[in-house]
Amino acid sequence: MFTRILVCLDGSDGAKRALAAAVRMATEQGAELLGVSVEEGLPHYAAMVGEVEEAKLQANEYFARVQQEAYDQAKLAGVELRTVTLVGHAAQRIVELASAERSDLLVLGHSGHTGIWGQFLGTTADKIVRHAPCSVLVVR
Amino acid sequence: MCPRGEALAEAMDNQYTIAAIWMGLAFVAAMLAGWTGISVSVLEILVGVAAGNFLHLGTNTWIVFLAGFGSVLLTFLAGAEIDPSVLRRRWRETFSIGAIAFFLPFLGVMAFAYFVAGWKFHQAEIAGIALSTTSVAVVYAVMVETGFNDTDLGKVILAACFINDLGTVLALGLLFANFNWYLLAFVAATAAVLPVAPRLTRWVIANTKGRISEPEVKFVFLMMLFLGGLATAGGSEAILPAYLLGMVLAGVFMKERVLVQRMRTTAFSILTPFYFIRAGTLVSLPAMIAGLALILAFLGMKVVTKFIGVAPLTVAFGIPRREGMYTTLLMCTGLTFGSISALFGLTHGVIDQRQYTILVTTVVLSAFVPTLIAQQFFKPDLAAHIAEDATRREAIPEATD
Repeated sequence: MFTRILVCLDGSDGAKRALAAAVRMATEQGAELLGVSVEEGLPHYAAMVGEVEEAKLQANEYFARVQQEAYDQAKLAGVELRTVTLVGHAAQRIVELASAERSDLLVLGHSGHTGIWGQFLGTTADKIVRHAPCSVLVVR
Repeated sequence: MCPRGEALAEAMDNQYTIAAIWMGLAFVAAMLAGWTGISVSVLEILVGVAAGNFLHLGTNTWIVFLAGFGSVLLTFLAGAEIDPSVLRRRWRETFSIGAIAFFLPFLGVMAFAYFVAGWKFHQAEIAGIALSTTSVAVVYAVMVETGFNDTDLGKVILAACFINDLGTVLALGLLFANFNWYLLAFVAATAAVLPVAPRLTRWVIANTKGRISEPEVKFVFLMMLFLGGLATAGGSEAILPAYLLGMVLAGVFMKERVLVQRMRTTAFSILTPFYFIRAGTLVSLPAMIAGLALILAFLGMKVVTKFIGVAPLTVAFGIPRREGMYTTLLMCTGLTFGSISALFGLTHGVIDQRQYTILVTTVVLSAFVPTLIAQQFFKPDLAAHIAEDATRREAIPEATD
């Protein structure tokens, strides 16, 4: 039924459950699997380029580790996982990528790393469900 | 105050307690930065505003020194972040956009402060300098978020920001200098040190690498403080040689990432918090409220003068309209050098606290407002730029970085 699955990877427990579900579905349905991470914690209105660079380096290292773990997990199940890392507003970037990649299913965890804004504005999952161009599976 | 209260106040009035209070504020700002995604520098200013207005947090001589050293190190690191290859490769665009982005706001805001706001001449000069800046870091953060930091357009904008800030630093360092023998000594020492600084620094690094006592960091501090001391003696400003030294060492720092990281750690952990918190404590909330109209007028002047200068140049260099608006709006941002210039004016008795408040508030607003407009309404098509850059590199292979 689904041929192009996009799974959100942020290293949280919710995202790990989402990855397990996505890998299972990709195996069952022979679908392509793409993993996306979004670096959204980079400082806005910084005083030094170094402030942004350091934050970006740390984020790059963290997501490289998360994506390597996800790749290994998918490989064990016989699925080839492609990964991509974006920078910016998580929900916006994921929705844009789902459109650009013509994904037909977006899989994500119910609770990720949403910080203080999530308490006021809703979680990334809420926003993706509202704006996604395809079906969305929110894994609890 | 009751005798017990006085005794407690006296017991708490020691340098460790004072340092603990300032570090506590820096810690609060760092935690808020992590939660909100706003940079720690802006939050340190805001925490400083709250502490200065509600807790009446004062300063003393060593806090003033640490804050001053923080601003000098911040300026040095800003200079060292320049990419010399882009300056060389696209010098026509970067120098003309950067120079005009400095001169027009400087003259326009200065004229507005003098003729319309009724500020004295030197006060108007400080206003012009503080609002002539472009924040390289704010621009860079936007570029990283939009993906433009790796495109040619992004690199030209960033390099132009450096030239713009060089104008600001030169103006601040020269307009208020005393033309005496010390200044002459400073000019001579700077002319002697800058050309050999990269070679000397490389030699120190090569011969002392890996030592736990960090001689290479101390050597860079030595040059920075030596030239800063001479500049201050000459009535100039220590940030001037710091920025120039940073620029000439940029090539060394691009290869020595560990050294950069150590200097940043020193800056962020102990020095810049004192600078930004102090900059915030000197802001008066009543003056901010009373001067709201003037703040908005100054912000408007900064944006209008940047537009008059930069927008036509973007057209002249064949930058498409949307990208031109994006470039111009990003050149309207400001933060570090704007606040440093305003603080220079206040601490040298050129401007008063009301004027300082108006300038710093305008500077902080200029970090937010143009950025939000640029990202919301004028974000260029990233995919098209990546494709265009690839085509250009295929056509002119030597243009590649």
